[in-house]
Amino acid sequence: MPREAEISLNEREFIKQALQEQIRLDRRAFDAFRPLELTFGDEYGVADVQLGKTRVIARISVDVTTPLPERKFDGIFQILTEFSPMASPAFEIGRPTDAEVILSRILEKAIRRSNALDTESLCIIAGLKCFALRADVHIIDHDGGLIDASCIAVMAALQHFRRPDVLVEGEKATILSVREREPIPLSILHQPLCVTFSYFEGEIFLVDANLAEEQVRQGEVILTMNKHGEVCQIAKYGGATINPLALLNCTNVALQKVKEMSTFIQKRLEEDAKQRDAGGLMAELSAENAR
Amino acid sequence: MIEPTVTLTHLHRADGSATYTHNGYSIIGAVNGPIEVQRRDELPEEAAIEVNVRPSIGVGSPRERHQETLLHNTLRSIILTRTLPRALIQITLQVRTLPLEDGTTGVNSSLTLLPHLLHTALLALLSASIPMRTTLTAVLIAQPSSPAKNIVPSLLSPSAHDLVRSKPVRAVHVFAFAGDGRMLLNESDGRFSFEEWNEACRMAEVVCCGEEEEEEEEEEEKDGGGVELEAEGEAMDVDAQAQKESLDLWLRSVVRRKVEGEQRWRRAT
Repeated sequence: MPREAEISLNEREFIKQALQEQIRLDRRAFDAFRPLELTFGDEYGVADVQLGKTRVIARISVDVTTPLPERKFDGIFQILTEFSPMASPAFEIGRPTDAEVILSRILEKAIRRSNALDTESLCIIAGLKCFALRADVHIIDHDGGLIDASCIAVMAALQHFRRPDVLVEGEKATILSVREREPIPLSILHQPLCVTFSYFEGEIFLVDANLAEEQVRQGEVILTMNKHGEVCQIAKYGGATINPLALLNCTNVALQKVKEMSTFIQKRLEEDAKQRDAGGLMAELSAENAR
Repeated sequence: MIEPTVTLTHLHRADGSATYTHNGYSIIGAVNGPIEVQRRDELPEEAAIEVNVRPSIGVGSPRERHQETLLHNTLRSIILTRTLPRALIQITLQVRTLPLEDGTTGVNSSLTLLPHLLHTALLALLSASIPMRTTLTAVLIAQPSSPAKNIVPSLLSPSAHDLVRSKPVRAVHVFAFAGDGRMLLNESDGRFSFEEWNEACRMAEVVCCGEEEEEEEEEEEKDGGGVELEAEGEAMDVDAQAQKESLDLWLRSVVRRKVEGEQRWRRAT
């Protein structure tokens, strides 16, 4: 496979010098995201996120299996990220690049291990039957900021998804189809979102770097937070040393960004719900129990 | 027949791309090429073609590998691979949505997807300006089993919903025709006689290539004889003679719209 085209020395110096003069090539502020666009598919659980030129589609699907023997009361939740040559010819199927490994590891930490999804609610009969939820992340277009975009996509898709209702009678469980009963939303405990900071010489932190800036940066700090200000994970990659006080400052910036993004996702979800609720029948159809 | 909707060249990184939506199927295709090829895949006298089909849910299975092989063999016969020796043309097809009834149609779902994959691949190749011998159109034909003596007409490019309604389906055929009317691909599944196959083939030809009165007899004989790949095709005829609604005309209109959009600057000045 061809390697990713490396950024030329001139471009590298140009970006660096511009940053020292407090200018970003696309005239954004240092702590500004690119325009974010989020659309949902016709079916439940498909979120299409566009962050500038980066585009990611997340898709949630559900299946019924037996739970793991050591976790009898929990359902199964998996996040699958596989890069395809669609995003860049440097990505090869079956041979994960570093970026892919980091992305899947961060999503694992940020969403799965922070218990964003209540896996216990996916259990149907303890030890026998449970729902297996999987989130497929498809990278369609790549212009940096994959981690942030993927995290938004997966969280939005999880909130959009509806799982089929089940009827349990003793040892017998019946999955009710969409026609029989309105599917119910997943129980989401909190909404972690990632903000990536790219570190450059001279204490410069960029939010949502594009691909050119990502290639020039000296280090990156990935912060995952929810809108209540709880930090779910912090990861730092790259060799540069970073001042701990600067890191504290990053968390403040991240909190503000996460709040903005959460409200944006919420707004889009409500718009979508309104569109689906054409006859105003959703409230009557709903089989959801009050928590 | 409802015409498919297409968006061309909408991805930034890939050399050519297309999103194709038809009958509830939505596929994103991207083409990179010609690019550097890995040593082990390099062919000294022609371009290597790599096709990746990615399902919407999960990772690729033998089903996708089979589709990749079919696509690879079909596309190799229309891409002018000899003009790009020791290079690679990389085609990635990402299935985005499948119709809801896809799993319950009772027919081979890799066949129902195949015409859509072929169209997406072709449009992405056109968008990437890869030199090609001719264009390609493909169609699915389903023959429902007739319960009594009365003959049920074959379904032309049926949606998943149509297939569920006309259950049980006895046979499905996928035909792909080149722009000059030659058959490029035929995949059939189920029970059918040679007459039925012939009828389906003629039906597909009309849909794909439009009406051609004089040549019909001749074409049929050729098609019966098998797949002809090596013959040199003529260049695309811009003034389509076929008047009837056909996939070939649809393809031309898609490309014309694209070219018109790109030539706007010329007319503006």
